[in-house]
Amino acid sequence: MTTPSFRDIEQLSAYLDGELGPMEAARLASRIATDPQLASVFEALRQSQAVLRHLPPRRAPRNFTLTPQMVRQKPPLPRAYPFFRFSTALAAVLLVFTFAINAISPLSLGARAPAPSYGLGGAATEEPVMAFEAPAATEAPAEPEIAPEPKLVVPAATQAAPPSADAAKVTPEAQAKPGIEEQARAPSEAESIEQGPIPLSWQIALGLLALVNLSIVFLMQKYASSKWRE
Amino acid sequence: MDEPTLIRDAQRGDLDSFNTLVLAYQDALFNTALRILGDEEQAADATQEAFLSAFRAINSYRGGSFKAWLLRTVTNACYDELRRQKRRPTTPLEPDTEDGDAMETPRWLADPSISPEQQAEAEELEHAIQHCLENLPLEFRAVVVLADLQGLDYNAVAKAVRAPLGTVKSRLARARLRLRECLQGFGELLPSAFRLQEGSRA
Repeated sequence: MTTPSFRDIEQLSAYLDGELGPMEAARLASRIATDPQLASVFEALRQSQAVLRHLPPRRAPRNFTLTPQMVRQKPPLPRAYPFFRFSTALAAVLLVFTFAINAISPLSLGARAPAPSYGLGGAATEEPVMAFEAPAATEAPAEPEIAPEPKLVVPAATQAAPPSADAAKVTPEAQAKPGIEEQARAPSEAESIEQGPIPLSWQIALGLLALVNLSIVFLMQKYASSKWRE
Repeated sequence: MDEPTLIRDAQRGDLDSFNTLVLAYQDALFNTALRILGDEEQAADATQEAFLSAFRAINSYRGGSFKAWLLRTVTNACYDELRRQKRRPTTPLEPDTEDGDAMETPRWLADPSISPEQQAEAEELEHAIQHCLENLPLEFRAVVVLADLQGLDYNAVAKAVRAPLGTVKSRLARARLRLRECLQGFGELLPSAFRLQEGSRA
């Protein structure tokens, strides 16, 4: 007969509590009957349980019934708590507001879309250029920039010339300027279409502010509860 | 009113119904806390805290043994109390008067007309058992108190201490053997009915 293993001891303890299945219990019972060491351990476990079960229970020293005040009472919170709670709410509301503004703004930008194309090829922005350039074309017909198109600088073409000169004079320059203007306009258009009026950095800042304040509120509540219970 | 009705009313916020349940189970919870914590005042605090937590979480009770559910709450309250003590060690109250006697006579749930001899025996037994329980690690102590003092089955004990079934089985076996060895050391001091057989060693 070998010294009972701890596995045997666990099984004996579970057998004592009726926690073994029927076959396992029957197998262990027959081992106990034939192994004195197992029987001795089983008896030790049984005695320990018996002593504890015979310990008289104590009567509670008082009634532990709850009062409405006990149930409603909440731990007192730090004075700064309302401020941080308000800040959290405000930052969250503003953040939602910025998303709403940015979501709505592309719709209104779409209504203004013709304006950029108006600036690209339309006459309005070029009219000042044309008006500015026209006198130069008529006053300095020998200027090299107009040399490629001499017919444009013939003074005899008075009323017709200015428009054509204007057109010829303006055309290369107008071709150059729209390129520059297009480049200048395109990024801002892209910006306004993609980002909306509220910059992303503001949204990130508001989000961070809301998160930080929420964390502070949560930590204050936890701290107040732990102090209350102490 | 039967227990399921009281529980249902308590879940609807009826404090009087819950207090009826408190009166029915406060001895069991207090005894559990007392055997785990070893101190009456701490046990009273843990018991009160347990009932307060139980009322606030009453809607999380989904059936089964209400006693086991309450004992789970008081076990958690005892663990919380011990964690608080670790953070803020307090000077334990002196249990004895200057003459070395107990400050107050324990009140037993047994027959109030208990004889002085029976009362003395009960006190001796309690002293021996409490001493040996306090020599156990907390996790062993909780398991043996819930299983052997409160009669919970292994599943209920496992839920109360939040440990797997196998761990409960192992801890209970170890706790019983250690208790047995410790109680044997009291020998003649134990009431005769509870004196352990000599030579019965694991």
